[in-house]
Amino acid sequence: MSESCRSCIRFEASPAAIEAAFAGLATLSSAHAAVRLTDGLCSVHDRYVRASSACASHTGSTSTRQS
Amino acid sequence: MEIAAQSPVRATRPRALGGFLRNEDWLAVLIGLGLVGTAAAAYAGGGSITWLAVSPHKWSHLGGLGSQLVSGAARYAALFAMWALLFGAAGRALGIPVTRFVPAFLVVFLLTSVVYSLGLWDQAAHYNLEPPLVALALGLLLSNTRGAPRWLEPALRVELYVKSGIVLLGAALPLTLLLWAGPVAMLQAGIVSLATFAVIYVTGVRLGLDRRFAATLGTGGAVCGVSGAIAIGGSVGAKRQHISVAISLVVAWAIVMIFLLPLVSRAFRLPTGIAGAWIGTSEFADAAGLAAAQAYGGYAGNVPGIAGHADAAVTAFTLMKVVGRDVWIGVWAFALSIVATTRWERTGIETRAGVGEIWGRFPKFVLGFLAASLLLTGFAHGHAYADFKVSVVPNLVAPLQVLRTWAFTFAFLSIGLTTRIRDFASVGTRPFIAFTLGVAVNVLLGFVLSTRVFAGFWIGIGQ
Repeated sequence: MSESCRSCIRFEASPAAIEAAFAGLATLSSAHAAVRLTDGLCSVHDRYVRASSACASHTGSTSTRQS
Repeated sequence: MEIAAQSPVRATRPRALGGFLRNEDWLAVLIGLGLVGTAAAAYAGGGSITWLAVSPHKWSHLGGLGSQLVSGAARYAALFAMWALLFGAAGRALGIPVTRFVPAFLVVFLLTSVVYSLGLWDQAAHYNLEPPLVALALGLLLSNTRGAPRWLEPALRVELYVKSGIVLLGAALPLTLLLWAGPVAMLQAGIVSLATFAVIYVTGVRLGLDRRFAATLGTGGAVCGVSGAIAIGGSVGAKRQHISVAISLVVAWAIVMIFLLPLVSRAFRLPTGIAGAWIGTSEFADAAGLAAAQAYGGYAGNVPGIAGHADAAVTAFTLMKVVGRDVWIGVWAFALSIVATTRWERTGIETRAGVGEIWGRFPKFVLGFLAASLLLTGFAHGHAYADFKVSVVPNLVAPLQVLRTWAFTFAFLSIGLTTRIRDFASVGTRPFIAFTLGVAVNVLLGFVLSTRVFAGFWIGIGQ
């Protein structure tokens, strides 16, 4: 488990995707807020995790999916 | 029970911009401090931004209001241009094209102007037409009947508006007040936050909820609402659906509280400082609480028996919510991530808790708020009290207060326009019970601490 979620193609952290995934987030908060850090959605585990997390199902590599 | 949320603005981020400019907190700091700095520079040069900071005055008949608006048309146009430039640039940094933002923002500005004007009708208090509540109700009505058009969404950036407004609010609060009231706010907020979290978490776990879910619900109710839920959800690795449920519950209860807390405060004729402290302790989100606090502040001088200055409710709210609760979200995230990784069942995802999370999740707009306060304190230090009252307040502080009111009202309207009840996620009975029990404890404990234990302190804010 050396590679982090940040570089996994199953990890999505763009603000647009996060606000689309969590209805109500933009009403009283924001996906662009500092409190969110670079957390994102893992479609393998269906969890919202830190970009620095890692798992045995890491897939592929990308450096542009999250910011 | 069916509750939940809305579809967000789809945006793409310009990759060339640094992370600093893609963070809404820092953008709000730039906007807020930019305005404070401009106002201070104008004042130092012997002028003022008063011409630009236009707002409606009290009116008693439509003809009078019409005359006001016509005579101030150039100023309103300039004000719109300024806000469109600032928020349009911020939106661009967040990935919202200016060509989509500006037309949408024009509608937000016009609707806000209507709401602002309505609040200054001399019969407004009699009919409870406080601008924050009217803005919210109007937004909710439009959003849940005809539905807000999709093209309006780029300009419905609640957090950008409210954080910019909070930075501007700092310019009305001397640093000495923050130092005097901050520790009490932290103590009261700490007591209520810990109690609320404990009730929601323990109830949730006993009802069989996943511990990560219970923690996400708990911080949503105890610390900073939707921001708390999304921050803790990420730090503990909660399931996607659990975060959706927590957000839905927070939004639903926050909107109920916007109307309920001022109503109950009015029934008890609470002084504005005390009501603001209670709202700051018991509301869930900054924007929602500011709507309630500003609405209640509007009763001062208009509703018999309500003592205190109008601004005291917003001041006490901000001290309690921003200084007492929001700044601790990173500590909550760090602590709960340690517990999650060492004590709770494994999820198949390896996560390391780092102390850097405390700063990483820190709400940076608070720094802008403090910097604005420091700047005001510096100006006050260089003036005799009488001179400060007759010169600095009307020419520097007052126009910034007007700009703050505009920014907050943009936010209140946007809350309503982005809240579509039919989109609310199905939350289930057990999470609803756990969260609602926490709400009850939060509200009652907050009321007792604000009106009994620390009442003498908070009443002093309004004098």
